[in-house]
Amino acid sequence: MTTDEATKSEGEVQAAALAECGEDITPAGDRGVLKVIKRPGSEDESPMIGDKVYVHYKGKLANGKKFDSSRDRNEPFVFSLGKGQVIKAWDIGVATMKKGEICYLLCKPDYAYGSAGSAPKIPSNATLLFEASRAGELTRGWAHSLLAVELLDFKGEDLFEDGGIIRRIKRKGEGYSNPNEGATVEIHLEGFYGGTRFDCKDVKFVVGEGEDHDIPIGIDKALEKMQRGEHCVLYLGPRYGFGEAGKPKFGILGNAELVYEVTLKSFEKAKESWEMDTKEKLEQAAIVKEKGTMYFKEGKYLQAVIQYGKIVSWLEMEYGLSEKESKASDSFLLAAFLNLAMCYLKLREYTKAVECCDKALGLDQDNEKGLYRRGEARLLMNEFELAKCDFQKVLEVNPQNKAAKSQISVCQKKTKEHNERDRRIYANMFAKFAERDAK
Amino acid sequence: MAVEELRAIIQRCQILEEADFKGEDFNLFQVAGQKCLEDGYAAELLEVIQNEKNKVIIKNMGWNLLSPLVRCIFMYKQEDDKREHCLKILDQLAQLCYPKELFLGLLEEIEQTTQEQVCQTVMLLLQPLQTVLLKLQNKKAYSVGFSLAMIMNQLTPLPVPYTKQQIQEDKLGLCQCCNALVDFAKPFVNEVVENMEMSLEDNEMELKEELLKFCMKSLKYPLLTAQLEQLEGIEEHPFRHFATEIVDVLWAVRELIPLMFLRHKGKTPHWENQEFADIERKDSADSLACLSYLMFVQHFGIDCFPMVFSPSYLLQCNMAHIEVLLKRTEESVLSKGLDLFESCLLRMEDNSLLHHYLEFRDYINVPQDLVKVMTLCPIEHLRKKSLSILQLFIDKFDAEGKYTLFRCLLKTSNHAGVEGYIIKNIKDQIHLSLTKACDNIWFTGHHLISLLDLALLLPEGAETDLLQNSDRIMASLNLLRYLVIKDCESDNHTGVWTTLDKIKQNFLKPLHVGLNMSKAHYEAEIKNKKQNRRESHSSNTVCSVTVSGEKMPAMTTEMQLQVLHSALFTFDLIESVLARVEELIEVKIKAATDENS
Repeated sequence: MTTDEATKSEGEVQAAALAECGEDITPAGDRGVLKVIKRPGSEDESPMIGDKVYVHYKGKLANGKKFDSSRDRNEPFVFSLGKGQVIKAWDIGVATMKKGEICYLLCKPDYAYGSAGSAPKIPSNATLLFEASRAGELTRGWAHSLLAVELLDFKGEDLFEDGGIIRRIKRKGEGYSNPNEGATVEIHLEGFYGGTRFDCKDVKFVVGEGEDHDIPIGIDKALEKMQRGEHCVLYLGPRYGFGEAGKPKFGILGNAELVYEVTLKSFEKAKESWEMDTKEKLEQAAIVKEKGTMYFKEGKYLQAVIQYGKIVSWLEMEYGLSEKESKASDSFLLAAFLNLAMCYLKLREYTKAVECCDKALGLDQDNEKGLYRRGEARLLMNEFELAKCDFQKVLEVNPQNKAAKSQISVCQKKTKEHNERDRRIYANMFAKFAERDAK
Repeated sequence: MAVEELRAIIQRCQILEEADFKGEDFNLFQVAGQKCLEDGYAAELLEVIQNEKNKVIIKNMGWNLLSPLVRCIFMYKQEDDKREHCLKILDQLAQLCYPKELFLGLLEEIEQTTQEQVCQTVMLLLQPLQTVLLKLQNKKAYSVGFSLAMIMNQLTPLPVPYTKQQIQEDKLGLCQCCNALVDFAKPFVNEVVENMEMSLEDNEMELKEELLKFCMKSLKYPLLTAQLEQLEGIEEHPFRHFATEIVDVLWAVRELIPLMFLRHKGKTPHWENQEFADIERKDSADSLACLSYLMFVQHFGIDCFPMVFSPSYLLQCNMAHIEVLLKRTEESVLSKGLDLFESCLLRMEDNSLLHHYLEFRDYINVPQDLVKVMTLCPIEHLRKKSLSILQLFIDKFDAEGKYTLFRCLLKTSNHAGVEGYIIKNIKDQIHLSLTKACDNIWFTGHHLISLLDLALLLPEGAETDLLQNSDRIMASLNLLRYLVIKDCESDNHTGVWTTLDKIKQNFLKPLHVGLNMSKAHYEAEIKNKKQNRRESHSSNTVCSVTVSGEKMPAMTTEMQLQVLHSALFTFDLIESVLARVEELIEVKIKAATDENS
């Protein structure tokens, strides 16, 4: 017997045994994925949908031929559970596992690579069937692959990879469609702070405008990643919660961490940019500009950014405009960029502020506000020389601008301070070197 | 005599201590050595260098000979003994000289060479360069990175051989040079790999980063623009070999999988200057797209790739790469984009792609890019291929996805041929919905009506250029004819009877007007032309046509008449189908009213 045949018969035995005693774990009950636990898990908790899971696995075709193994790569395989990133059998199978568990999964092609196969390693349906029918009486008619999986670890999904919003899904929504910015959503939410519930309501609002209903920006952001019918728990950091100011209405102090349970009952999407014609875009631009300004005045900069951002996304790449339209479009864009710059200044995102000013100045190179704001941003980024240039240009455009004048002297003062500090540092350094050399 | 002069200097220096060598000595040594080489005394020079007594002198001064040495080597013929001696001298210098000076000397040679000689020079000096780098104690990682970057920069302006003949000929030696470069890098790769098991120290981390940069650079040039298909008659395809090696290096330093799946999530190194960050992002976008192509189309390194990803997720990961490639115009790059797109789609089953994916911007952008390729690209086989891929893409979507895609393409393609093609697709989908038992809400009833509104109209009313839009108009008429025949007013599955008034208003009526106007116009034109021909036999042409910079031969009146007639023929064709459709509508309506009365 050759080694190849040996592995083949091993696969045969395993597949046969699994087909006999494996538990059907498909929701449809069609025996598409059968599971046998080889080693029970150490903890009782199973991963939730959307969790980042770490597994080791080995995959074999029905003929016993190994097609893949994470051990060969010396590192665990990481994926988001239940998101269609992996073959269906995995999304179903791993969700049933406990931490530390090892199990076998026997999968039909519908739950694995389907009729298309996956070149070059996984043959198409037909080939598999052929191989499988040779694999023995019990497995006849099975076109399956066999997976041994060990669940190493899992953790909640970090929605923006900054630790600010962690989501754990309790019930998966339907399909893959998410509300977009500007979509109208109907949700049920419960907010918890330090273990007590401070808010519980059913509410309908426009994504990006949750603030109007005392809903923090993190919920708006998370909704864009939720699906219809989804029920999840969201852990919000202060930046995505009520921020430094807190929310006196709910008795929430500044920099509080919040927990929300949210169910997205239904939503209606806002139109995509390509679905709107120019006229519609210009009409809408006027509306969202108003809204943005309202938020800005209330100090809700993140919300304002969303509104102004819409104008940019609608109009920045629009071409083929009539002269009149193009004038209107440019003036909306200019206002949007200038206001965005202001928001980013307030949010202390100076690089973005500079970017917006650059774009505004691209439309109108002598724009006083654009130059002034870029100067401010650069000053705060410690780019004193560049900042000074900007303020000087402001004065060229408008010699009466007193603020710019005083900013120039600030720049000069800062440059001087900076130079002196450098000098002190280097002086110390050289003194030390000299000392060391002397020794 | 040059040799004697050299011996004299050497003798004088032999008694000196290393620290006592003066600038003057260096000069004299260089001049004399150079003279030896120029006068053909390479063998004698070799002897001097190999002399144990002269070790210290060569260690200090030898690097000065590099430049004349390289010149001589290129001067002598391949089989010349003198060339052999020169090569031995080069080898000796690499062994004996202080590495730091020689390192700089070698790079200087590579930097100063001409474009024609760059590959030859690089291949000549790689071996000594490697020897020297392996001897360097400090800043090794930096020096390796610097060498690789410098060499790549020197190579980048060279044209990449593309056809089989060009590759075989390898006129400038680029193919050979690239593979030599990988061999050059291997000891450094091994060094990183050997230390991999333990956590890497700063030095090794730096070395790994440098090697990574080299791989990324190689993916962008020459691999992105190189021909990577297997070629008949070439056993060892140099670029395929090079590509395999690069992928192997990435795999060995464990960066392959992270590159494929993590980078595109926005893990970009932080640059203080926004411009640098942008350049880097753009650069790496090209490289990563090429890497994806190598993996999914050419299957390089696929053995290391996890096989448990779902096909739709793989498509999603590749969409950004495909978009990058399709935005380009070079045949080599465009065809890579099309191949990558095709291979991703072939993994999927028909109707399996959920419409929600269209919410990703790429899924809307890429088909639009595809339309651009099929309408604007001058290379025929790419145009054809992009059309077949568009069809493949359409086929993979579920009904709602197809529906959305059709809407989007009708609105954005701006090309009558493509619009006609989409309208034909709509017809096929309606046919499937009507004939299959499964009820399909997207291609019947009210959803369909709003799609029909887009499909059954003249883009600019009666003023539409019918000739330009004839493909679209014929497809629309065919669709309408199909609907009227298949669907009775009493059933009205498709809803066409509900929206018939609108169709008449937006499509049929203006089409009548347009046809009348166009026919009158063209007939007048023909009459005009004929009159002119009778009046003056000298055919003075009014307009000239240029196609891609070349002036087309002027059209004779005869040819112009032919064109005009064929236009009239097209109008007749449209008119006859239009008449048939209207006839059918009337018959059906009459039948329905008869039944009711």
